[in-house]
Amino acid sequence: MRPTTPAEWEFRPGPQTEEPLYFRAADRQLFGWLHRGAAVSANHAKGRASAMGVVICKPFGYEATCAHRSLGAFAQAAAAAGFPTLRFDYAGTGDSGKIDATADQLALWTEDVLAAVRELQRRGGVAQVCLLGFRFGALLAMLAARQCPEITALIAVAPVLSGRRYLRELRVIQMAASKSVVVAPRVGTLEEGQTVSALEVSGFCVSASSTAALSQLDLTMLSAPPVGRVLVIDRSDLPGARAWADALGKLGVQTEYVALPGIVEMMWTAPHFAKIPHAMISAVRGWLERLAPRIAVLSAAHAAARDAEPAAAASAASAPVMPEAPVLRLSGEQGAAAEGVIERPVFISTEPMVFGIVSEPAREVARARTGSVAAILLNDGATSHIGANGLYVSLARKWAQSGCTVLRMDLAGLGDSGVRRGRPGNEVFPPAALEDLRAAIDHLRRHHGAQQVTVVGLCAGAYHALRAALEPLPINRLMMINPQVFYWKEGMSINDLQLADIVRKRALSSYWQRLLAGQVNVWKVAKIYLRRPMLSLQAALRDAARRLHIRLPRDLGQQLEDMAARGVRIVFAFSREDTGIELLRLSAGSAVKRCGAHIHIIDGADHIFSQSGPRQELERVLSVELFAAPSEPQPATRAPAAAASSH
Amino acid sequence: MSTRATIKLQFEQVAREQQRRLEPLSDDLKLLDSGLDSLSFALIVARLEDALGFDPFDTDEPVQFPVTFGDFVRLYENQTK
Repeated sequence: MRPTTPAEWEFRPGPQTEEPLYFRAADRQLFGWLHRGAAVSANHAKGRASAMGVVICKPFGYEATCAHRSLGAFAQAAAAAGFPTLRFDYAGTGDSGKIDATADQLALWTEDVLAAVRELQRRGGVAQVCLLGFRFGALLAMLAARQCPEITALIAVAPVLSGRRYLRELRVIQMAASKSVVVAPRVGTLEEGQTVSALEVSGFCVSASSTAALSQLDLTMLSAPPVGRVLVIDRSDLPGARAWADALGKLGVQTEYVALPGIVEMMWTAPHFAKIPHAMISAVRGWLERLAPRIAVLSAAHAAARDAEPAAAASAASAPVMPEAPVLRLSGEQGAAAEGVIERPVFISTEPMVFGIVSEPAREVARARTGSVAAILLNDGATSHIGANGLYVSLARKWAQSGCTVLRMDLAGLGDSGVRRGRPGNEVFPPAALEDLRAAIDHLRRHHGAQQVTVVGLCAGAYHALRAALEPLPINRLMMINPQVFYWKEGMSINDLQLADIVRKRALSSYWQRLLAGQVNVWKVAKIYLRRPMLSLQAALRDAARRLHIRLPRDLGQQLEDMAARGVRIVFAFSREDTGIELLRLSAGSAVKRCGAHIHIIDGADHIFSQSGPRQELERVLSVELFAAPSEPQPATRAPAAAASSH
Repeated sequence: MSTRATIKLQFEQVAREQQRRLEPLSDDLKLLDSGLDSLSFALIVARLEDALGFDPFDTDEPVQFPVTFGDFVRLYENQTK
């Protein structure tokens, strides 16, 4: 198959063409987006339903985090071709409701795909559905297609064919991420009585029952799915699905195969480096467009059959239903106050579309207890509003249950928000971030009665939170997690953030050793050695200037003291080995103590708290800080009595 | 191409793709200090399986993830003997 000419596909969502929604899969509530696109909307305006829709089956875990905006771009491309498209979060992931940690995710998520198919039929009025699955999502799509005759086409992108091999891949990631050496249990050849263990990979859990089920699953051993047409898009860097595609063809499925670049850049990199795979999107769009006339013929036959059976007329390709107000209701945790949480998607602004999800206590009485405390969670890097490994979802629900209103939001250009005119997507340090944050604070005050506002951010989110407090926006608490930069100007590269060479002593000793071994550039070592004392000297001079009440530009210490004088409670949380600790010391010096900042240092954590133990500790300290009594304004000349508390 | 050279090539290629600064690959370089992350290692292992025809993490015996680059190379070289 020859892909159509690659076009520049971007993810530029807008409230006219994208609709957030919740739907049910048995007792689970799932969050999703319905993408209608102009072509679909035009059909609806004429009272016509599309013949086929597309359900996107996401990859798992970190891959889904990285691929977030790419998946949105796939959805928009399919919708632009006239196919209403639903992308959604499996239960227990993203913005969907929780699931039992021991549940078989493979079985539940296959049911979730089927529920998404039904929901798309209901809302989009389509008779047939094409599943578009990525990696693990392609495996789920294949399983779902075997159970639902309305799934008549399937696109598998870099499909996971062998559950056993996929688990091995996850275990390598898990082992390589571990600070200690881990013994890898072999998967798939367990002795009788041995149990398969659960996995935590990059902050995402695979239950023991899921690993057991996956270890037995091999798509190449299954019979062909009962779909008419399949498109297999293999990864060109490591193609592995050609034989499977050929086998499907021999089994009578009309199968097209293409190997294209882009999978690594889409989902196997840091989210801020992630790139939308234009060639793959063009291939999907082209294939769907070629499929459309065939679907129309099938659809006409379907309509004729339906007309002959009036009772069935209302079921499938009827006019699209009016959307219900999307609300997610979560029950309270066992042993807690048992007050649940309500979540709602919100549009903070429409041009550009700035999106977020508000979590609130289900009962007003809980909110009254906290005196209208509200918190805003800001994107960490280019990760969407769910936060790294879902940290923000966990925090939002926990805090809402304790009476706080929490908004987890996407700045323009990130996550599910639109892109500001003239700006690129996936921009980690957008110059207009403060405009979005100002609108978010205004939204919480107007619509949720927020009186005390806390802004929380990890990494780049910490930078934006700091800038907002300095502006100053009306913020009462500032919680910065692993900040790695305190000043940023447009044109700087993300790579400029890699300050480890300068501030991390371990890196210096490593360079020194290799210098002696003749393995490293002497000038590079010299530059590093020169720059570090320069920074220390600058810090000492700034300290002295502050004591003499001389204001210097870009003086973080002075800025922190000014904020504290306005009554802003300042909280830092660092992973023990994160470079931000040393950067803070060099940038703000003794002012950190004088401003009364609360500093928490968490052992065993990586930069994004991807392991559950340190992540729980982070959630604990932030929760204590959120509900602590508000700070009193501190006079700028206050003596350094309020020492930083270190844990 | 020798096993060591193949491995070195994959480390360098993945580092380029991931826009990571790879430390010089000496035998005593700790993988945690190499500049690569866990995702990079999974990618390297998958590509090495493609290039060398085997995956040392897929054995009946429990296997430990190597600590240094030298350990990593030896893990693969031992399989080829």
